[in-house]
Amino acid sequence: MIHALRLLARMYRVQIRSQLQYPLSFIMDLLSSALILGFFFVAFALTLTRFESIGGWTLGEVAFIWGITEFSFGTMDMVFSGFDYDSFGPIIRKGQFDQLLLRPANITLQVLGSRFVIRRLGRMAEGLLIFLFGLSRIQLDWSLLKILYVPLLSISQILFFGSLFIIGATTTFWTMERLEILNIFTYGGAEVMSYPMHIFPRPIRMIFTYLVPSIFLSYFPAVYLLGKPDPLNAPAFISFLAPVIAMLMLWLALRFWRFGIRNYQSSGS
Amino acid sequence: MSPFLATIRTSFRRQLTYRAANISGLLTNLMFAFFRASVLIALFNEREAVNGLTVQGAVTYAGLTQTLIGYLSFFHWFDMMQTVYDGQIGADLLRPLNFFTYWLGIDIGRAFGALLIRSLPLFLVFALFYNITLPGSFLQWLAFILSIFFALLISFSWRFMVNLAAFWTPNALGIGRFVFGMSWTFSGFFLPLALFPRWLAQFARLTPFGAGVYIPIEIFLGLITGKELLQGILIQVFWIILLLLLDQWILSRGVRKLVIQGG
Repeated sequence: MIHALRLLARMYRVQIRSQLQYPLSFIMDLLSSALILGFFFVAFALTLTRFESIGGWTLGEVAFIWGITEFSFGTMDMVFSGFDYDSFGPIIRKGQFDQLLLRPANITLQVLGSRFVIRRLGRMAEGLLIFLFGLSRIQLDWSLLKILYVPLLSISQILFFGSLFIIGATTTFWTMERLEILNIFTYGGAEVMSYPMHIFPRPIRMIFTYLVPSIFLSYFPAVYLLGKPDPLNAPAFISFLAPVIAMLMLWLALRFWRFGIRNYQSSGS
Repeated sequence: MSPFLATIRTSFRRQLTYRAANISGLLTNLMFAFFRASVLIALFNEREAVNGLTVQGAVTYAGLTQTLIGYLSFFHWFDMMQTVYDGQIGADLLRPLNFFTYWLGIDIGRAFGALLIRSLPLFLVFALFYNITLPGSFLQWLAFILSIFFALLISFSWRFMVNLAAFWTPNALGIGRFVFGMSWTFSGFFLPLALFPRWLAQFARLTPFGAGVYIPIEIFLGLITGKELLQGILIQVFWIILLLLLDQWILSRGVRKLVIQGG
């Protein structure tokens, strides 16, 4: 375990050093992700002020869940980027995965450490700012449970999004190529989770409840944290399922990942 | 057949062969269109129109922007840059075709291919799910078609210029991501610019990004007609000329400086 962590730290250090080789490029990357995604929020905020509320939620309330989701996705995109199917696909196609398999270290650990994208700090900072902006605009009825649940929710989201990346990476064992369609659930899912999800029509909600259970990691917890009425009339305990769902997803994703590795056939190139 | 037309044809055919990728992209864009349309409907919430934009117009907007992504490819294109880094550019510069024209041909072929098998089906399917606004007259259709062709020229010459950065620096990828990111913001891709404060919307449509994405949509939805429409097209023409000249100038300086690696 300690050996594994040390190895991981070492791999991260190499990554960080190499990414700082071009400081200008790095800073621009950092700024661009923060600014672009930040502007998306600003655009939405400017629009929302014209309409006052969306699905009965004010700007501050949307910012609260939007910020948490952004922060979690940014963090996940940094830590789990080894499993980012955009970059993992080429590794499979070029046969580089065979090299990893030959090395005397845990394969999951190696993939995890193979990419650590520090420019995602931009997105994390942006998410944090939106979250704080949201907090400044709402009167939250804080309790100890709520204070504890916010970070726990974020961790759950990180693991949840990470699971989706692992599943995405695993599919490339068979497809050899990144499937853009997975973006619906990762990037699209994160976007959908940034809004009060009851505004979406039933079919979309069903997809994000039963196919990919995103709604348990944003809308339901937010209903509890913000004390909003729930037009979907879900029982109260559903708000607390986020960590359970996240662990379940991670477990499933890792099983699928191992299944993929067992059945892996090299592209031969 | 002229080399230019041959390039377009080859690239068009190549685009059509990526069937799985095109379908996958189509479905992704379609789902995003549904997401954005749902958000807009929730925002309008019984309201008829805001700033001249109706709910129906806003929903059409969501569908159109996602339709145009594959065709315009405005915000993600590093193909030319890649050839600078892998040395392929050495061969490309020797072609019986100006380097810029060669890539323009490639891109027109790519865009028309994407239009045929990705964009058009997407919009048709989208139209099955929502009540959408269509241009009301033949002239409006014609203006729209002209305007999306101009949009492609703006998009291409802009992307070409960004990729030219690779002639000077070994890591133009970061610059590209930054600049493409900035272009997102002013294109009106996220939400209809008509819903923004007036000054911001006016500024955005003067930029090449707004001119490339927003003006064709304004024409399609009938938000601008007559003199305003003509003005919109003129903004597009202005950007095409300016970007083309800049591309030529930067390219001619870059080629003198280029060091081809590997190859």
